[in-house]
Amino acid sequence: MEPFEPTILTFACNWCSYAGADLAGVSRIQYPPTTRVIRVMCSGRVSPVFILEALRHGADGVLVTGCHPGDCHYLSGNEKAVQNVEMARSLIQLLGIDPGRLRLEWISAAEGSRFAQLVTEFTDQIRELGANPLRNGHMGP
Amino acid sequence: MNEVLVIGAGIAGIQAALDLAEQGLRVHLVERLPSIGGRMAQLDKTFPTNDCSTCILAPKMVDCSRHPNIVPHTYSEVEAVEGEAGQFDVRVRKRARYVDETRCTGCGECASKCPRKVPDAFNLGLSQRRAIYLYFPQAVPMVMTIDPEQCTYLQRGKCGLCAQVCEAGAIDFEQQDLLLDLCVDAIVVATGFDFYNPAPLTQYGYQRYPNVITALEYERLISASGPTGGHLLRPSDGQPAKKIGFIQCTGSRHVRHNRYCSTVCCVHAIKEATLAWEHDHDADSYVFYTDLRGSGKGFREYMDRAGRAYGVTYVHGRVAQIFELGPGSDSAGETHKPVIRYEDATTGRVAEMAVDLAVLATSLVPAHDAPLLAGILGIDMDEYGFVKTEPFSPADTSRPGIVACGCCLGPADIPQSVAQASAAAARAAEIAWELVRPRHREKG
Amino acid sequence: MDGFESRRPQRIPQRRPWSITQQQTARGPGDDPRIGVFICHCGHNIAGYLDVAALVASARSLPFVVLAQDSLFTCSDAGLNQIRTAIAEHGLNRVVVASCTPRTHEPLFQSACDEAGLNRYLFEFVNIRDQCSWVHMEDGERATRKARDLIRMGVARAALLQPLTETELAIQPAAAVIGGGMAGMTAAGSLARRGFSVTLIEREPALGGSVRHLDTLYPNRTSARKLVEAQVAAVRAEPQIEVLTSAEVTAVRGSIGHFELEVESRQYRMKLPVQAGVVVVATGAEEWKPAGMYGYGHNPAVITQQELEERLSTGDLPPDLRSVVMIQCVGARDAHHPYCGRTCCLVAMKNAMILKEGNPACQVHVLYRDIEVYGTHFEDYYAQARELGVVFTRYTPDRPPEVVGDQGRAGDKQTPVPPGRVLVYDELLGATLAIPYDLLVLSTPMVPRPGARELAQMLKVPVDEHGFFLEAHVKLRPLDFATDGIYLCGSAHWPAHLDEAIGQALGAAARAATVLSKEQIRSSGIVSRVEESLCRGCERCATACEYGAIEFVDVTRSVEFLHRPMARGLETVHVKVARVNPMLCKGCGACAVVCPTSAMVASHFTGEQVAAMIRAALQAPAAMGEDHGTL
Repeated sequence: MEPFEPTILTFACNWCSYAGADLAGVSRIQYPPTTRVIRVMCSGRVSPVFILEALRHGADGVLVTGCHPGDCHYLSGNEKAVQNVEMARSLIQLLGIDPGRLRLEWISAAEGSRFAQLVTEFTDQIRELGANPLRNGHMGP
Repeated sequence: MNEVLVIGAGIAGIQAALDLAEQGLRVHLVERLPSIGGRMAQLDKTFPTNDCSTCILAPKMVDCSRHPNIVPHTYSEVEAVEGEAGQFDVRVRKRARYVDETRCTGCGECASKCPRKVPDAFNLGLSQRRAIYLYFPQAVPMVMTIDPEQCTYLQRGKCGLCAQVCEAGAIDFEQQDLLLDLCVDAIVVATGFDFYNPAPLTQYGYQRYPNVITALEYERLISASGPTGGHLLRPSDGQPAKKIGFIQCTGSRHVRHNRYCSTVCCVHAIKEATLAWEHDHDADSYVFYTDLRGSGKGFREYMDRAGRAYGVTYVHGRVAQIFELGPGSDSAGETHKPVIRYEDATTGRVAEMAVDLAVLATSLVPAHDAPLLAGILGIDMDEYGFVKTEPFSPADTSRPGIVACGCCLGPADIPQSVAQASAAAARAAEIAWELVRPRHREKG
Repeated sequence: MDGFESRRPQRIPQRRPWSITQQQTARGPGDDPRIGVFICHCGHNIAGYLDVAALVASARSLPFVVLAQDSLFTCSDAGLNQIRTAIAEHGLNRVVVASCTPRTHEPLFQSACDEAGLNRYLFEFVNIRDQCSWVHMEDGERATRKARDLIRMGVARAALLQPLTETELAIQPAAAVIGGGMAGMTAAGSLARRGFSVTLIEREPALGGSVRHLDTLYPNRTSARKLVEAQVAAVRAEPQIEVLTSAEVTAVRGSIGHFELEVESRQYRMKLPVQAGVVVVATGAEEWKPAGMYGYGHNPAVITQQELEERLSTGDLPPDLRSVVMIQCVGARDAHHPYCGRTCCLVAMKNAMILKEGNPACQVHVLYRDIEVYGTHFEDYYAQARELGVVFTRYTPDRPPEVVGDQGRAGDKQTPVPPGRVLVYDELLGATLAIPYDLLVLSTPMVPRPGARELAQMLKVPVDEHGFFLEAHVKLRPLDFATDGIYLCGSAHWPAHLDEAIGQALGAAARAATVLSKEQIRSSGIVSRVEESLCRGCERCATACEYGAIEFVDVTRSVEFLHRPMARGLETVHVKVARVNPMLCKGCGACAVVCPTSAMVASHFTGEQVAAMIRAALQAPAAMGEDHGTL
């Protein structure tokens, strides 16, 4: 049997985290090809609905990334992200999804290695949790 | 369109260029180094918010490079200035990069193949780069440069590996310096500062003891994009530094070196100490100070918080000497441990403290070529070698039409430099506007 | 009193009617999406690790893709030409480029689309280098799979992209400067020299602000009065500046480009409307009065630095003062105000030197915590003061100075009273000194002017915990507010030396001029918009917005009441709906997240577009007519 290859969706804010992910590339820091990045202007744009949408369609993990506290390009978007991710976390628990599949992390534009490290770590964490039980449409809305 | 020259593309020059360009003036932005960005690009975080320096600087750099009114001239220097306000004739030498800027994509394939390793100036020699290099990962423009002193091909006509691997065909060993003649209404000087080299202060053992470093070297060490990936490791053995001594006024407020106060070092050291704690909550920092100065917005609260919560201890007293424990004299068998000998001003006694890392807060001094540039520009310098202005006229130099901002005027923190840059832009725009107004009237 | 001369308020001469005009839209999407996908080799950087041919083949099979091509360097002239040509030849109405990173190259490809007549917002970037080939160099197969997913996601989003318009707004080429001190006058002067009309609004009957209360100025003993008078004369002589003294702002409406201030003039006993494209706040600060500290308020020998300054300028000091003690950081760096007053050390040094020069026999002691003389010339000033014999003694907050004996002599020199003494522990000597004083001068920090908070509320800008105005960004935007079109300078922002305040004022003028020098400013297309039919005016979006970009307007709506058979037919109702000011919106999308009815749409990052990417990433079926709630 092939080893389980998780699919992780990463939301990255345009100003810090997306730039941090780019820096990992410019510095050629290697990490597993398990994540697909969706760029948004601000981590505060990541609606709980996006997170639910991802998990209900079978994403094995969702990583929301934004600027460090105080660094938000839009002043307080990352604070809003905290609330939104917490709301999503309580909702996915109601659906029976392990809250460990959802993470919120701060990554600055200078933290290429941190981005790589987070993806590596999260991939390992998700491998332990196994595939999302909703992956093959076992459960629909 | 009226034109303005901005010399120096650190944060002050960048801000001045953007403010002028947004007012509809064409700006020639001349930078000596291969990339714009200046000192701020070398910083990890900035006080008192601990904002990531790159995160806030990079968008401004990109704005500069994309602005239709800004013509960046990197790797270039001003060689001659003649004329007067409203009509300065300026000669700029654009040095050969040996790389075609229009073709190079900055992919770095060439650097990965280049066999010649040399100390990386951006990382202050703490790491190595190749003879063909990108000045730093977020460089603007994102193009490679060949160091002609180090390139084997340019020196001896052998190698040329970079040209072989470059699929964009950007390597051009035949490239020559280019001389540009500009005509501008006004000139903004934003050439910044250098850090004082503390080697003459032999009592601190800089360059003799591996674990005595400068504040800027510390900045590169703790930067996530720096040579150690953001891990605060002792240069002697690569082990984590747990106890750090910050020695303030290294070369500043000193009759034999620099009489003045370098303005930023107190809060800068405290920021560096705070970062040590952020990386490792077991880290202890000691700041040895003469006066603890910090009167900018939010600075004092930041300093108080660092003392309360982030493992920073303030020691009032001047450091007399740093020496190293001899081999075997440390019970843990550690070597190269700097010992700080200081006079504790509260007790009046001499005391010693062994640390993992001693960080020298070196003075901000005029850029090494400031006298040369002052000669070219025909402007007066003050008794310290910084650009001279008169009281209550903070942007104007001694020569009409030439204004200045940032640390070429003297030590200043980032918000001061940015505000000064806008002020210089205002004065330069006033000069240019005086000259366009009659023409506008003719049209209208 | 210069505020009462007869100068009729003149209205701003060159008022330009402002209007919002929509920029001409380039070609829209047409009927069905026709997507072209361009995959870049980036030399070896992508093609060396990913199977580009496979990526091209898989892209071709995606819905709405009519063309998929690769090129060695898509960003080269040849690559850009390929895109422009394909738009024309294949009637593409969406373009996807898979290459390096949008952070450096998106504008380039967007311009190529523009040039070929395609709205720039119909372009989508897929990052397969920085976030794919460069970070998975050892595993080309899995990296290629990832790139294929990323391209599928990009194509799914591209199909839903909408052309966006960039709103243009005409700018009223005039500024309102609030505060007629040195900072405000300097800003007004610079803007006037740039050719803009300025209305300078001062609360007091006279221009000049706090510098009017000073005697001489460091570092060169310029007469404060002369400096102010010269500046006032320059402002009065400038035809472009209209000065309103004895005037206060009572209301602010509008936003960047077209502010309207209501100014209550005590001089003309009327409310005057002031129209301006930008506003500069230069309301200054004032000295804090240390009531009850060290006997201040009841002991006439205890005064503040500013009071000493006033006596120096009027000559109202006893000529035979024997000992003056100055205490620094009174009410600063303590429970009253945690901050350092920044300017007080220099003020104390200057006044100490004046006392010393006037009467070399007079002992002057300055008790300080940390001498705040940063930079080159200030440090020199400190040295000069010491050379002149001013004695500086450091104290620590755990052993603050104490005053014993009731008072000094300055209050009443006829009655001989035993002089008071200041006790201070000198850590260098390790002993407590008892310094007799004739005059005790307290250095206190500057605090915001009364009314600063109210003005901030009118302008919808923030103040910090001390009441100073809060700039947009502490490091890189010290003179801007987060709200566009409003700028800040001088001690209203933070206590500033006069030199610094003048610099900031010039700087604020430059920032304001970046707006005023344009006939029009243009918003980004990436701004939120409201589906008015869905909006029920709950105002949650406005709470989430940091930029005050959302306002509420009453609209009439025709509603058919189906459930009331007796009164069937259209009825007109008035409802409140949100409206986004595209000049203020920054496109962060926070409003769309909190909107309970999906009325608020974060353009370019709409719920549908993001959901399409999620589904494409997971290869889930596309949403067909399915309701997915408040995306």
